[in-house]
Amino acid sequence: MSQFEDDISRAMAGHDDEAPRAADLLRALEHASPPRHRPGWYVPFTVAAAVAAVVAGSVWAGGLLGSHKPVRTSGGAIPVQRLLSCPASYAHQAPWVPAKPAGIDGGSRLVPRDTPSSALICAYRGSNTARQQAGWALSGQRSLAGGLASLAGQLTWQPHRPRQPIPCTLMGGPQTNYLIGLAYPGGARIWVAATDEPNECVGASNGEFTSSGVIGPAVSKAFASGRWPGRTPVSCNRSYQDTGRLGQGAAMVPAGSTSVTICAPKARTVTTSYQALVSALNRLPTRPSTHGCSGTPGPSGAYEIFFSYPEGPPVLVSILIGCHPAIGNGDLQATSASSVMPVVRQLLNAR
Amino acid sequence: MHLDDVLTELVEHSGERLLRVAYQLTHDAAAAQDLVQEALLRVYQSVRNRGLAPEDWYAYLRRAVINEYVRTRRLRSSTEIVTDVVPERPAPGCLEDRAADQAELWAALGALSERQRAVLVLRYYEGLADHEIGALLGCRPATVRSLASRGLAVMRPLVAAVSAEEEQT
Repeated sequence: MSQFEDDISRAMAGHDDEAPRAADLLRALEHASPPRHRPGWYVPFTVAAAVAAVVAGSVWAGGLLGSHKPVRTSGGAIPVQRLLSCPASYAHQAPWVPAKPAGIDGGSRLVPRDTPSSALICAYRGSNTARQQAGWALSGQRSLAGGLASLAGQLTWQPHRPRQPIPCTLMGGPQTNYLIGLAYPGGARIWVAATDEPNECVGASNGEFTSSGVIGPAVSKAFASGRWPGRTPVSCNRSYQDTGRLGQGAAMVPAGSTSVTICAPKARTVTTSYQALVSALNRLPTRPSTHGCSGTPGPSGAYEIFFSYPEGPPVLVSILIGCHPAIGNGDLQATSASSVMPVVRQLLNAR
Repeated sequence: MHLDDVLTELVEHSGERLLRVAYQLTHDAAAAQDLVQEALLRVYQSVRNRGLAPEDWYAYLRRAVINEYVRTRRLRSSTEIVTDVVPERPAPGCLEDRAADQAELWAALGALSERQRAVLVLRYYEGLADHEIGALLGCRPATVRSLASRGLAVMRPLVAAVSAEEEQT
């Protein structure tokens, strides 16, 4: 074996600790595995229990929903449908959920970090120009057959919606409001509202935690394929990026990033030795973002810096030289980039 | 013993190892867990339907993980090359330098096609011989050697660029 091949072997072994644990897998499998085959009286008992669960689930949901009428689903994964059923209509303007989180702390994250045992997506199609923005009828429903750990990884890190209003474009077009019903081992349940619309400006919510994250397009993909889509790596060549991460309201770059991609006239990605950039950004005096800047005399330039993490969306720090304020991550902004740009240039000029 | 108990035992005995292999393939923790979960359930269903259990469960499940990976992953095209070049390189031969080299190699593995990456993971992580990899992937040993050779050829320039830079400085 050559030195190069030896190095590959060592590089692979060096990442062993980053793999998920068997205990997480076991928890996910406990509720995803097919039912046991049991003879005799177990069978009618199981059927009766299943019927009771459907009734109980409907009563639970109906009690919380008030006027909403649950719709029985057909086909697909059984467990989630015993616990959750799609409301017949989307009762209010988006984002709306039919019930608060049950058995889950929904106030600190959009969804728990644990992998759900099952997921149901309910779709309500309409238009953002329609006079009625509430009461849209159920247009489809689907149980997800895979990608549930990816779903948890992406949704749990969605950013908290900032207190300041976010400016939005006003393009008219089709809008689909989604409800994602997640069930967890032990019976906990949560609904997440997400919307796919042209302006990408309707937040996601679980009824207690509202996020500014744009997850509607991912939900549309999952609804079409039956699987939650895997993460798309950061690329400087795409205009749209699912960016924004929990914690970016407290630090310009939340802890735990594993690589940085700098998009400028010369793009590059590095996975080591960029801690100086994180430190420089997190040392900046910041205040809540006003989501805008004013031009100033002198040279100009734009840099987009993506910090990626082992799971969940990246953080995007934008630097606009010649604008005031010059730096922002969507939730925080800083006036000057003068202390950061030397570090950025050093990274860009390293080869 | 119920089959569910078998499944639990399998996860306890092989889960960790399968998850590590899956992580080597995907470089993504959540995707690795999904991959192993789906492979396990697929095997579970298949074994339950057939009523036959394989002799070597780990090898059987690993094969399912690899097949699931190759089957479900789409080739991703991107014009951006992940260079992963370390800007401030420590002195050659020191621990930090080796860590930096490993980071570059890890990133370069991400540039490979699914089958190339599967071959390199099975060869350099799992330590399988080419004929074993061929049997697992359903191809001839010569094809395995070709996939490995092409995979290494993709990786070398990405890492060699750094070495050339070191020599210049």
